[in-house]
Amino acid sequence: MPRTVRETFVRVLAVQVVTLLLLWWLQRHYGT
Amino acid sequence: MHPIDWGVVVLYLGYVVWDGLRRARGTTDIEGYFLANRSLPWWAVGLSVMATQLSAITLIGTTGQGATDGLRFVQFYFGLPIAMVILGVTLVPFLHRAKVYTAYEYLERRFDARTRTLTSLLFLISRGLSCGVIISAPAVVLSAVMGWPLAWCVALIGVPTVLYTVVGGVQAVTWADVKQMGVILGAVLAMVVVLVTRIPVPLDDALAVAGAAGRLRAFDFSFSLEDPYTLWSGIIGGTFLMLSYFGTDQSQVQRYLAAKSVDEARSSLLMSAYWKIPLQALILLLGVLVFLFQVFTVGPLYHNPAHERAMRASAPAVYDTLQAEYTVVTTARAAAARAAAAAHGAGDAAATAAALDDYRAREREAGVIRARALDAAGAVVAGPTRDVNYVIPRFVRDHLPIGLVGLFFAAVLAAAMSSIAAELNALSTATVVDFYRRFARRDGDDAHYLTMSKWATAVWGAVACVVALYAATLGSLIEVVNRFGSFFYGSILGVFLLAMWPRARARGAFVGLIAGMATVGAVNLFAPRVAFLWHNVIGAVAVVAVGALLSLGARERAAA
Repeated sequence: MPRTVRETFVRVLAVQVVTLLLLWWLQRHYGT
Repeated sequence: MHPIDWGVVVLYLGYVVWDGLRRARGTTDIEGYFLANRSLPWWAVGLSVMATQLSAITLIGTTGQGATDGLRFVQFYFGLPIAMVILGVTLVPFLHRAKVYTAYEYLERRFDARTRTLTSLLFLISRGLSCGVIISAPAVVLSAVMGWPLAWCVALIGVPTVLYTVVGGVQAVTWADVKQMGVILGAVLAMVVVLVTRIPVPLDDALAVAGAAGRLRAFDFSFSLEDPYTLWSGIIGGTFLMLSYFGTDQSQVQRYLAAKSVDEARSSLLMSAYWKIPLQALILLLGVLVFLFQVFTVGPLYHNPAHERAMRASAPAVYDTLQAEYTVVTTARAAAARAAAAAHGAGDAAATAAALDDYRAREREAGVIRARALDAAGAVVAGPTRDVNYVIPRFVRDHLPIGLVGLFFAAVLAAAMSSIAAELNALSTATVVDFYRRFARRDGDDAHYLTMSKWATAVWGAVACVVALYAATLGSLIEVVNRFGSFFYGSILGVFLLAMWPRARARGAFVGLIAGMATVGAVNLFAPRVAFLWHNVIGAVAVVAVGALLSLGARERAAA
């Protein structure tokens, strides 16, 4: 597991950004 | 249910209980019983944290919400990763290094005995009741969908859980959680695969229909204190709620107090920070897929089979008329959805838009008939007719292949049991450590406290089962329990926030706690439309403000 707070925060943020971008794409691409 | 499905359920129950009883060996004192001698690895604790939070209400209710309301409930969890990172650098090292059994024990060291006693008492009352609700909700659904007596469903969930929790303590709870999380994930993934193969049009084209029905709207940027699911209530209110739940609720705190070290405790919480939103999105997406399956293949008029039976028995003519109307409209809706999917597949934008307009019109008509049908059922059964929680179990019973039906019901049991076991374990810890050892018998030996801990777990298990039976008959009790929790959740967080401020004093913390709960009570009374997620923010801010003012005042008086 990651060591520093900053590194941890960046990793957590990265996973959330990917998930939220996917959800955003679903909403934009299929929303009418 | 097919014998093979029964076999899957019995196999699951047998394995969990056997494994739990096996873990009891070597537990001779309460540190082993409640905290596994602080020896558990981060990944087991992390899965236990996730399994505790994911109850059967999530598996049945959230998937149902995905089917009826789409993805927007995912916003509720947007504050979770933020809360986990904050807790990882603040409260977790505090509590772990303090070598406490309960989070409230720390409050006595920092402030005084009355703050500890009040917070622990609030935890016991709210969690004791909510434990009953956690058993009741899936038991009611299982009873209606499968036609089993309610008391049997409560016993099916409650008895095995109480058994392995009483005998095995936190070791049994944690390692059962690990397996239960596996069963839940396996069932969800298997259902997603089955649904993708069963929907009769390509997924890309089907999702265009889901988008037209508003089921893929995950983000709502509007700011409203009354709407519970917006981006802002999720990020701000959600962060405070998750800080309260993971930082101050003993049923979660006890999970990571059992970790080997501060770093392992931190890592266990980070597992949720990484995976909770993707997991919740997957669970909601499962609901959206069930919605699509029912659009393309014509779903039932009533999701709750009990409503269907009651209407057939008491108002057969009304039922037949409504069913006939619903079949006509949903058949037309399925045709419109197929036309839209075909046009989308062919890349014809104008034809897709026209077919989707037709689909939306049919969807509205179907909605009107369903509302009329639910009103008619409400008059017959004389009770609430909201049937969101029945959408998925009904679909599973009617459409999943043999084996998977059993796996789904095993997953529902796993989700319920993992939450209940952690809560019983935590209720027992707070009872023995915060009350019995302080007020009833201070000089007992470890063997005595271990025996009392097992009795406390059993008694709380019995209380939860009795509450579950009553909660099932009084539908509004569930709401009362949830509201009761939101009264003080944020306020307790406020006390812990004060605890980390070196200048805070005991009187400020106690009076602040009371003021925080009174403020939330006043908001509830005079502004009842404010969504409950904001109660946590209001409670925490009120406690910190009042506590800080009183603490500063006390310092000035002392200086004078």
